[in-house]
Amino acid sequence: MLAQLDTIQTEALAAIAGITDEASLEEVRIAFLGKKGGLTAAAAGMRDVPADQKKDVGQKLNEVREAITSALEATGADLIAKKDAAAFASIDATLPSRPLPKGGLHPLTLVLDEAVKVLRRMGFALAEGPEIETEWHCFDALNTPADHPARNESDTFYFENGKLLRTHTSSVQIRTMEKEVPPVRIIAPGSAFRRDEIDATHLSAFHQLEGLYVDQRVTLADLKGTLEYFFREIFGAKTEFRFRPHFFPFTEPSFEVDIKLHAAGRAAKWIEIAGCGMVDPAVFAEVGRKRGDAAYDPEKVTGFAFGMGLDRLAMIMYGIPDLRLLIENDVRFLQQFR
Amino acid sequence: MNVSLQWLGDHVDFSEYSIQQLDELLTFAGIEVEGIESLPNHLVVAQILSSDKHPDAEKLSVCQVDDGSGTSRQIVCGAKNYEVGDKVPLALPGCVLDAGGGKSFEIKEGKLRGVDSLGMMCSAKELGLAADADGLLILSPDLKPGTPMAEVYPAVFELEITPNRPDCLSHLGVARELAALAKKSLKGRAHFGETSTPSRAAKDGEVSLESEACPYYTARLIRGVKVTDSPAWLKQKLESIGLRPINNLVDITNYVLMETGQPLHVFDLAKLEGGIVVREAADGETFLALDGKEYALTAEDLVIADAKKAVAIGGVMGGHDSGVTETTTDVLLEAAYFNPQAVRRTGRRLGLHSDSSYRFERGVDPLQVAGVSEFATKLILDLAGGKAEAELVVAGGVGEGPKPVALDHDYCRRIIGAEIPDGTIDGILASLGLEKVGGAWKIPSFRLDLARPIDLVEEVARVHGLEGIPSTTMATFSSASKADEAYDFLRAIQDRLASLGFHEARNLKLISGAQLADNFATSHRGMSPVRLKNPLNDEQDYLRPGIVPGLLASASRNEHFGRSDLRLFEAGRVFVASPKGEEIEHEHLALLLTGARVLRSWTDSKPKDLDLHDLRGALEAICPDGLNFVPIADGELLCACSIEIGTGKKAVKIGVAGIVPPARARELDLEAPVLVAELNLKKLMVTAKTEIRHADLPKFPGSSRDVAMLVPGDLPAGEVAAFFEVYDEPLLISAELFDVFTDPTGAKLATDKKSLAYSLLYRAPEKTLEAAEVEAAHGKLLDSLKKAFNVEFR
Repeated sequence: MLAQLDTIQTEALAAIAGITDEASLEEVRIAFLGKKGGLTAAAAGMRDVPADQKKDVGQKLNEVREAITSALEATGADLIAKKDAAAFASIDATLPSRPLPKGGLHPLTLVLDEAVKVLRRMGFALAEGPEIETEWHCFDALNTPADHPARNESDTFYFENGKLLRTHTSSVQIRTMEKEVPPVRIIAPGSAFRRDEIDATHLSAFHQLEGLYVDQRVTLADLKGTLEYFFREIFGAKTEFRFRPHFFPFTEPSFEVDIKLHAAGRAAKWIEIAGCGMVDPAVFAEVGRKRGDAAYDPEKVTGFAFGMGLDRLAMIMYGIPDLRLLIENDVRFLQQFR
Repeated sequence: MNVSLQWLGDHVDFSEYSIQQLDELLTFAGIEVEGIESLPNHLVVAQILSSDKHPDAEKLSVCQVDDGSGTSRQIVCGAKNYEVGDKVPLALPGCVLDAGGGKSFEIKEGKLRGVDSLGMMCSAKELGLAADADGLLILSPDLKPGTPMAEVYPAVFELEITPNRPDCLSHLGVARELAALAKKSLKGRAHFGETSTPSRAAKDGEVSLESEACPYYTARLIRGVKVTDSPAWLKQKLESIGLRPINNLVDITNYVLMETGQPLHVFDLAKLEGGIVVREAADGETFLALDGKEYALTAEDLVIADAKKAVAIGGVMGGHDSGVTETTTDVLLEAAYFNPQAVRRTGRRLGLHSDSSYRFERGVDPLQVAGVSEFATKLILDLAGGKAEAELVVAGGVGEGPKPVALDHDYCRRIIGAEIPDGTIDGILASLGLEKVGGAWKIPSFRLDLARPIDLVEEVARVHGLEGIPSTTMATFSSASKADEAYDFLRAIQDRLASLGFHEARNLKLISGAQLADNFATSHRGMSPVRLKNPLNDEQDYLRPGIVPGLLASASRNEHFGRSDLRLFEAGRVFVASPKGEEIEHEHLALLLTGARVLRSWTDSKPKDLDLHDLRGALEAICPDGLNFVPIADGELLCACSIEIGTGKKAVKIGVAGIVPPARARELDLEAPVLVAELNLKKLMVTAKTEIRHADLPKFPGSSRDVAMLVPGDLPAGEVAAFFEVYDEPLLISAELFDVFTDPTGAKLATDKKSLAYSLLYRAPEKTLEAAEVEAAHGKLLDSLKKAFNVEFR
């Protein structure tokens, strides 16, 4: 019996060694371990084994089954591994990818978002106002006299009913102060319009970012510190800039901010990037007249305001040479910003 | 305004200042330097000593020149317009010349066709002194060789004076400002406020003022003048700032204007009939001005007239027929003050602007009028001879000048936010010519902009500069505003669309009337588009009522650049007017899809075109769950549907989606189907703001059954979906359409039928369903389906 089991084992292992695929694996398994298989038949012979040998034969039987089973399993695993390898062997990993469509945001959105992120960290909340404005919000309340050149029909888009397309986002200063009492700390991104023929440096509609802070003791030093922080966050800690005295009807004192631009291969030059100043008391007085209260008493509150052109900021940040690229939506241009 | 450095030197000594230092001084005075014309170093006057033919080049000559160094220098030259002995500009090695286009080149010693050339003789064009030039610039024979050219042609600054500082619209004004900032003293007087000429009131019929637009008018009669060319110094002064010399009298008025800022006019007395009348023009009165053009005037315009006719438009321009000519002998010199608003109105209406009107519009110093008249009279007598009447004839009067302004030092410090000592503040104001009298500051008559304490604070801040002021920050907390919420909401959608493969577009908000036909935004029914009163052109005369017109134009433009597979979106403001004429602004979001669904590649070499279902998928990806597309009879878009969130009475219509009519798409050269959607962002935001609550996950497994059914080919799948939506079976969890099959050949399926296959999921919340329970529910459902649609199951 023991000899018979040895023979079965030898035969089984030889058969297993000859296995080439899953079908022959199954054949061999059935031939030895199936219901009518060699080992199963041998096991059936256990009942004829004398009692004193049963223990030895039983042990042998288990050893042989174990040997055959593990050889089958090993061969099976080997077959699967080979099949797996074969399944992926045909893949040419050097082929290009199966592409997914790629999209991206407009450069102006990116620039605006940069600016908004920084200003929100500084405690500014967003504000907005209509783009079709009244003359009062766009000019009168901003201390711009009726015969100011900016109010010419040659410079500003008007409607038959006397309203106009706002020429700056500064009108949102007025809209905000009409509704809210100090402290007011807002930024207002948005479109503004000027009656300019479109060319490389002019658009009839452009984008601005306005800022306003009104409280009891807001100073020019605060304005300076705020804009310095802002521009250093945007352009880097080493950014050089200067505040140049300037004139705006609605701020006094007024300044323009220049940053020093270092473009490759050219001498560094100062580029105007923002206008700013302390809110003119005449603006507070006019807002107060409209509100009919003393919330903006020019004797009690001070404030600063600033405004910058986002299109210009985008031109500087990305080296965009022509403003028209920003409104043409050529995908070859847009895809550079993702 | 052009300001010559040499001319400024008449008033202040800036010799130790470099051009760059002056540039900075001006810039920090608040005067923008728009350009500087200056000649470079190593550019000198040279005299041509000899000129011989180049041995190897017919067109070149070899010259020996005297560059002032004592030894002659050899220069090879191509020009022909000179003679030996002429004096010309010579660029020495090291001289950097402007090559145009922002580039420059440096002169080096070299050889031209084998002959040494140690510099370059220059034309006016090469020096930037003229736009075009033929040959070398021949200089005055009086110049000494070796003289730096920068002395012959001193620097000219092109300045932009802000409208609040008309006092800087003259050389004296700029000099006065710079002297204050540089702490220098003026060489001569700071102002023409004083005069030693006696004046007398105009007699009847001599000068009469009939309009408030001219409160003050002076006339000086000068007889026996001789009109000739101006002397060289005067011509050179005018030319240096780009003015063309005409004759001594006209040149004097121009010179005095640029020197003092006070415009003047000289009339030929012989051409005036009777005395001067300053009056409003008669409506329809025409006037032939000095520029040779005829202007139609109205009662809003101010004219200077004699007894019969207008001889000048007040403050703007003199008349063609009353001006000085070579035969003029007796003149009337006008110096007056005109109301800025009146001059601005007339100039704007007529589109007529002059150096005079530029200054009157901004405001001249009224107290200087008589003094400037005296100054000009003296120049006329000096340069043109003649004899002036002893007295200045005066009509009207000027006020006393600006009122004193008190400034509280603490107020000044409070605005600026820096501890500037009282003495510094006072010192700055005094340097600008203000005088402390009692408790207030007396303002110089030329500083029309200083009327309030804040105006003085501005002066302190300006002169002190921001450099010396601390940078402080004050942060306060701000609550998120509605605008903040809208911004964040849109930003999330923008990011989502970008990762779905969309590029963000931004179009001009001004569109043409023709583009209005491309507007499909339906939230504006009953509204009308908003048209500009004064558009620039008819391509941009309407405000966009929707975004799709712009996106279609962008798609067409991309197609022309060879890019026809597009996924674009744009968000922004749109405009309509209500029937009452009230403008309404909305924030919209629009999507446009066209071209291949996937990028063509080796994995899919013939990708299918994007279709309506791709558009809807994109919309579902950015909108909250529960989005419905309800067909509408739009008439413009194909397959138009209203985009709704929720159903029934609670449905919120947020926009519209559909296919652009192929005929229109083809007009735009877009061949593949163009899918568009436009939604109202605010409505979308409202529906998206539902509270999120966690729901327990199912504890027991469900069972699914697939069912394929034959339905009439024209039955919308939406009707079947609606059936499942309302079907009353608590165990039915979902019904997903997973296959739609039609066979146009009729072989496998009749051509008027289609097969819809659904996967139905049954599940009970509290237990695992028995097969029999599922079968029972499913059987009931099939019966109901059959009744509802007369379907056959496959």
